[in-house]
Amino acid sequence: MQIFSLVTEYRGRLIVSQVSLFISAVASVGFATLVAPMVNQGMVEGDAEAALRFGFWMLVLAAIAGITMAIAASQAVFFSQGVGYVIRTRLYDKIQEYTFENFDHLSSSQLMVRLNADVVNVQNAMLYAILLALYAPFMLIATLILSIINTPDLVWVLLVVMVVVVMVLFLLIPPIVRAYHKRQHHLDSINRTLTENLSAMAVVKAFIREDYEVDKFDAPADLMRAASYKAAWRVAFLAPMQTGIGQLGVILALWVGGTQILTGSGMTVGQMSAFTTYLGLVIAPLALIAIVIPFVLRGDVSAGRILEAYDIEPTITERDPVAQLDPTEVKGRVVFEDVSFSFVRPDGKIDSPVLRHINLTIEPGQKVGFLGATGSGKTTLVNLIPRFYDPTEGRITIDGADIADLSRDDLRAIVGIALQEAILFQGDLRFNLKFANVDVSDDVVIDAAKAADAYGFASNLPGGWEAPVARRGYNVSGGQRQRLSITRALTAQPKIIILDDSTSALDASTEGRVQEEIPVFMDHGTVIYVAQRISAVIDLDHIYLLENGEIVAEGTHEELLATSPLYQEIYESQLGEGITEGLDLTVAE
Amino acid sequence: MTKDYDSLSPDRGTLSRLLGYMLGGDNRARSALATAARVVAILGLAALPWITGQAMNVMNDPSGTTDELNSWMIAGLVAAVVYLLFSFVSDRVFSRLATNALYRLQTSLFSHMQTLSMGFFFKNPVGQLTSRITNDSEVVALFYEQGVGPIIRAILQIFIILIVMLLINVPLTIAALIVVPFLIGSMYIVTRIAAPAFALLQERVGFASGFQAETLDGHKVIISKKRQAWASEVHEELAGDVYEVGRRAFLASLMQFPLTQTLILVQTVFVLTVGTLMVIDGSTTLGVVMAFTGYATLMASPLGQISNLVSNALNAIAGGERVFEVIDEQATITDAPDAVEYEFKGGRIEFTDVDFSYVPGRRVLKDNTFTVEAGESVGICGPTGAGKSTLINLLTRYYDIDSGTILIDGQNIESLTQESLRRQIGVVLQEAYLFTDTVMNNLKYAREGATDEDAVAAARKANAHDFIMELPDGYDTMMTERGANLSQGQRQMVTIARAMVADPKIMILDEATSNVDTRTEKLIQDGMRNLMDDKTSFSIAHRLATIRDSDDIMVLNGGEIVEYAPHDELMAARGFYYALYMSQFKGKAPGGEEATKVDFVST
Repeated sequence: MQIFSLVTEYRGRLIVSQVSLFISAVASVGFATLVAPMVNQGMVEGDAEAALRFGFWMLVLAAIAGITMAIAASQAVFFSQGVGYVIRTRLYDKIQEYTFENFDHLSSSQLMVRLNADVVNVQNAMLYAILLALYAPFMLIATLILSIINTPDLVWVLLVVMVVVVMVLFLLIPPIVRAYHKRQHHLDSINRTLTENLSAMAVVKAFIREDYEVDKFDAPADLMRAASYKAAWRVAFLAPMQTGIGQLGVILALWVGGTQILTGSGMTVGQMSAFTTYLGLVIAPLALIAIVIPFVLRGDVSAGRILEAYDIEPTITERDPVAQLDPTEVKGRVVFEDVSFSFVRPDGKIDSPVLRHINLTIEPGQKVGFLGATGSGKTTLVNLIPRFYDPTEGRITIDGADIADLSRDDLRAIVGIALQEAILFQGDLRFNLKFANVDVSDDVVIDAAKAADAYGFASNLPGGWEAPVARRGYNVSGGQRQRLSITRALTAQPKIIILDDSTSALDASTEGRVQEEIPVFMDHGTVIYVAQRISAVIDLDHIYLLENGEIVAEGTHEELLATSPLYQEIYESQLGEGITEGLDLTVAE
Repeated sequence: MTKDYDSLSPDRGTLSRLLGYMLGGDNRARSALATAARVVAILGLAALPWITGQAMNVMNDPSGTTDELNSWMIAGLVAAVVYLLFSFVSDRVFSRLATNALYRLQTSLFSHMQTLSMGFFFKNPVGQLTSRITNDSEVVALFYEQGVGPIIRAILQIFIILIVMLLINVPLTIAALIVVPFLIGSMYIVTRIAAPAFALLQERVGFASGFQAETLDGHKVIISKKRQAWASEVHEELAGDVYEVGRRAFLASLMQFPLTQTLILVQTVFVLTVGTLMVIDGSTTLGVVMAFTGYATLMASPLGQISNLVSNALNAIAGGERVFEVIDEQATITDAPDAVEYEFKGGRIEFTDVDFSYVPGRRVLKDNTFTVEAGESVGICGPTGAGKSTLINLLTRYYDIDSGTILIDGQNIESLTQESLRRQIGVVLQEAYLFTDTVMNNLKYAREGATDEDAVAAARKANAHDFIMELPDGYDTMMTERGANLSQGQRQMVTIARAMVADPKIMILDEATSNVDTRTEKLIQDGMRNLMDDKTSFSIAHRLATIRDSDDIMVLNGGEIVEYAPHDELMAARGFYYALYMSQFKGKAPGGEEATKVDFVST
């Protein structure tokens, strides 16, 4: 229950809640104790005034029990909601310190569960724990003590009933927990089948397999039904079972006690009626504990998962900035010195290298391209430049300064990047375009948009610059999103810009326009393209051809066409046979 | 979606529909049985306070005998056992009905969705639709399992106990009932505050988790643009909103427990006090009074549960509405009443003046007219958004056209049954979708009754056989979710093989965008060529190299067919196609020709 460490500031309120519960329990038990004298003096002896007096005090106790319970409940709510707030915000803030690698290890959907479902579990556990952890045992102990004092001959009935209730709970509750697990498991299967079916609906319809899909769905649905039933009837039966056993306990007590009264062994009718109340006071807390335990267990598991995410160390830390580069003075010369890189798995094992001995120099103002198939390492390579990852070996310098020595603020100002997946955020267009640089002027945004061929459609959107962007930017097409993402990267006016496959949704003609405009906007800045299509890199100053993490060839298009078999192969397949007639080529095996 | 909680009366329609799944139709007899068992159980329960009261009278009577006591005690045992036994039966039957009802709801929802047209699936994101089953029907499940039975029990118990009380002693009944209006009143107030608060809480939780999802999915952007501080700030505010409303909602709803508890204790005091006074003046006995304290609680505690049950029901109605929204949705593309089977006669396709728009007023295809002879291959190209994929949607009749006609082998496409049409048209989609199942089963999925031999033969022709045999379990290798244990290129080859298993007579291929390595590309192109051999085929290309060899190339721009001729003719014509083709070279084409930049409709 380490979560408590997060909320020790509110210890005072916790104490208030438990004291209130104590008082409430005392009042409830006190209420029960007054029943005996009420019956004895009032009904048996006929003392009306006594009856009214007892009645009055019972009302007072009932009110106290209620009010203190309400106070305790309000504190319990404060804590459980408060814990929710604290965990959510602190965990989220911690997640904001994560690096790319941290996110590789814990996916966003896993984090979402920790921020939501797990938090709710902890909240529930906290609520029930505060309300019942001390209250229920206290009621039990107090009632037992009272019974020992007031109705000593019937205490054993109380114990028998308690034992029977606990036994029955042991019989009913573990199967319920198991059945719920199975049910959730089958619900997961149903969800998976459904998701597959919906995502592949075009395939289902194309091959006319609707009936087959219905049968496929039926199986887990049926299994879920069976598991649900196992849990459902037991859950439903818990309450009548409690009541029934309670009533049987009353019968037993009345039988034993009544026989004693009739045979004159000194028990009074008042004691009898007090005892029946004691029975009631004992059964309810037992059942409550049984119901609460699963919640607390679940909360504990969830707390563990939350702490796991919270305790993660960010993999890239900012060393004290040793080098100072004035972002406005940077030329944009990027050098890779024998750089190698491997991904690290969550368990610490190191994968085989994704980049091997990369050595290259990009001169200021150059337009270069990295070309290669999926898995060749191009995205990883460019991700090292803004220091999303640190190289495993070697180093990268900008204008001679090791990027690991630069402050993150400076580095972000120097290197801009439009990522492979163009993601926008919910908000208006202006907010999104200025995302990289909140203080930039509208004029800069407009120029950037023109360079990225986004100005045309953006100004035609309903609302213009205030046009709403939906979550993830899904209310604009893929090509438009890419151009907006490029605009966003440009508005930060970096000295080095990286465009990771950011024109893949554009046709070659539009792409060509954009590639012409960007260097103009960048005003002698360095432009780095990453692409899979030859047409994207064909007229750049320098092309690096990557395969399996190594630079296998580099040069201009003409040079590569003449010397690199791999480049020729790619050219052939993408731009067609026959075009290369007349050129001296060797076709790959 | 805010619910109007000012009127607490539930939407009759949805509630009775939901109940119908559980209690109606074939289940009426079982519901009656369960209810009858409940009634018997409650009668048993109702006997007990009376019995214990009488027993106490015996104890209190100086002339009471143990024999009298014994007979009452035996009666009590019987009553308690009856209560337990019949409750058990009733709970089992209601639970059976409840879980069956959910099963029916889930399977109805799923099988109905299979009948809907593709337009529905393009419009509704998968996540929203699955939420109908995982979230909305779960709320309904809770209602079925822990709502319906308890509500019936509560209502029966309140009424039966009330009647019994009135039969025994009216003044004491009144004493017991004084508390009831307060009980109902306080429940009402609690619900009035709690219900809208919970609805608001759901909304706020939705905002917070929506923002979380967005920023976590987009973490790369946030890290690269260094906006972590902004994200934390916004999130703190949203979490704060959740906290505020959560406190209000839970506090209000928790208050019902101390309230109920206190009111029931107060009720006990009234009954005891009034009862004592009545015993003193001789109008009733001790036993009756003690019995009444029992009855009072038996009647009041179900009342105390009512507000929980009501909010349970309200939630279920909200969830049920969303489920029924989908169940009530009708397919937009239906077979004509006199639809006939498609007769394949070679695969000649004629489009005449075809207009189409997804959204009325925004035409995606305009005046498309062309003819494809049997066995011809047509390559389709054009800028993004020009309408290429739409052609597939029309040929497979995922959508109906606005105007014009489409004839297949002389038969109007809208006069044919969808099934017979789709059996003859094979589609290889842009996204290579595979199921989590073995490779063999994925291949055989294409046709009911396909054999293993059919699958392997198709795999060979698609150049997939070799790499499949290199997989850990060969054809029996399980694909992981969405086929992630194969490369993109390999997945494409499997889908091409799958299409071959169906052996359709007309082929449509929507080429995946280029993210495969060149060696695999060659194999894929080869496989695709085998697939299209001798068949009328359409291929949509993003790489012009793929469609170079088609019999005809159709160039779409802004929804109109601007050119339609073989490659050599189009290159000679120096038009759209030529410009598109040459733009890939960015002025570096062999031969050094620069194409004029053509005005593409930029979308």
